[in-house]
Amino acid sequence: MKKTWIVIAVVAVVVISLFGWVKGMYNGMVEQEETVNKAWSQVENVYQRRADLIPNLVNTVKGYAAHESETLQGVVEARAKATQMTVNVDDLTEENIKKYQAAQGDLQQAIGRLLMLTENYPDLKANENFRDLQAQLEGTENRITVERQKFNEAAKEYNTNIRKFPTNIFAGMFGFEKKGYFEAQAGAEKAPEVKF
Amino acid sequence: MRNKTIISFVVSMMVGFFVTLSAQVPEKPNPPRLINDFAKIFTPQQVAALEDTLVRFSKRTSNQVTIVTVDELGGMDASQFAYEIGEKWGVGGAKHDNGVVILVKPKNETKGQAFIATGYGVEGVLPDASCSRIVNNEMIPAFKNNDYYGGVVRALNVILPVLAKEYSIAEYEKGESGSVVAGLVAVLFGMLLVFIVFLMSGNSKDNDNDRDGDSGTFGGRSSAGDVAAAILLGSLLGGSSSGRSGGSFGGGSFGGGSFGGFGGGSFGGGGAGGSW
Repeated sequence: MKKTWIVIAVVAVVVISLFGWVKGMYNGMVEQEETVNKAWSQVENVYQRRADLIPNLVNTVKGYAAHESETLQGVVEARAKATQMTVNVDDLTEENIKKYQAAQGDLQQAIGRLLMLTENYPDLKANENFRDLQAQLEGTENRITVERQKFNEAAKEYNTNIRKFPTNIFAGMFGFEKKGYFEAQAGAEKAPEVKF
Repeated sequence: MRNKTIISFVVSMMVGFFVTLSAQVPEKPNPPRLINDFAKIFTPQQVAALEDTLVRFSKRTSNQVTIVTVDELGGMDASQFAYEIGEKWGVGGAKHDNGVVILVKPKNETKGQAFIATGYGVEGVLPDASCSRIVNNEMIPAFKNNDYYGGVVRALNVILPVLAKEYSIAEYEKGESGSVVAGLVAVLFGMLLVFIVFLMSGNSKDNDNDRDGDSGTFGGRSSAGDVAAAILLGSLLGGSSSGRSGGSFGGGSFGGGSFGGFGGGSFGGGGAGGSW
């Protein structure tokens, strides 16, 4: 009789500590995944912020350089494509992030071409509104760099954790998947040079 | 034995070399301080005056504004440099992320650069376009004349009242006259204080020394009231001359406390800068 109780007690202790251990690991993964998701929404925010600046930018440039319609059109189209492309937080795979980055990179290049062209219009460059837009655009590019960096750091921490033993076993069981990273693209991802 | 010493020496040299290579942004100052004049562009009095003003400002409003000057940016963009200082030092409070980093790289062999980086929490009151205007209209014109102190004070005259929500950045942008309006307010405020002190001290008329004493009290009183106004006043008083004399504004009479340390604020890459 006494023996049975001891066995039950031991089993209970083992089960409870096992439960606590798995729970800690699971919740840890959930928390890290939440951090990654939050970082992703910040990334989307700053890209959206850039997209929001573009209509104003295009209109301002149009006022001075309407005949550069091809470049202007290029920016509008790239913006449309970039804003269509969204990635759900449950689907932050390497492939999806790559696509997202590519669409945003095209927009960045289009903006870069537009800004390069504005060099030929001194009146435009002297326009106070345009200068403000340039400052905002520059700031947004900086924010994009920062938020992408923060996302990569969060994703790296999460990825490292779910691949470590023994977390990897439970990560597989509960369906925690590896997140993709932003890659530094030579040239394309470089913020357009804005000079005053 | 000797070999061992040589090897350890070489190893420590190499470690030192790599450490200097990787550490581009200066370490968080210890003891903490808000003015970090690594480039030595301010006089000790100016550093003390700025430190005192900003420490008081942070105590009063909880916004932390730090000024960092460096001789070189180590190949980084000014924006990245200022951002990393803000993020790594944790300028501003952790809850409100209300920190501002003013970075000045004086003109030497390479071009001069200035950048105002804003924490997440102050991006709203100090948008990038405004930071750009402050750098290009307030700081750089003075910096071009090698008046680094004057340029920084002019920038603070805009930034501090805006952070303290004493006037909006829109007012500044409207006519660039915001600081003048605020300056007038400060002068009126100062006159009022002098008047009150005058009334309270009764027979001070008889003695010139007493008057000097009064102006000392005025400094103390204004610090209890409105530091930003005091700076404005100080800079107005010093404005006509080189700005060096403005250094007296926060000096001994304030006798300020020490800075308690950075609060862990976070930055998102906001802000703007310029070069000359």
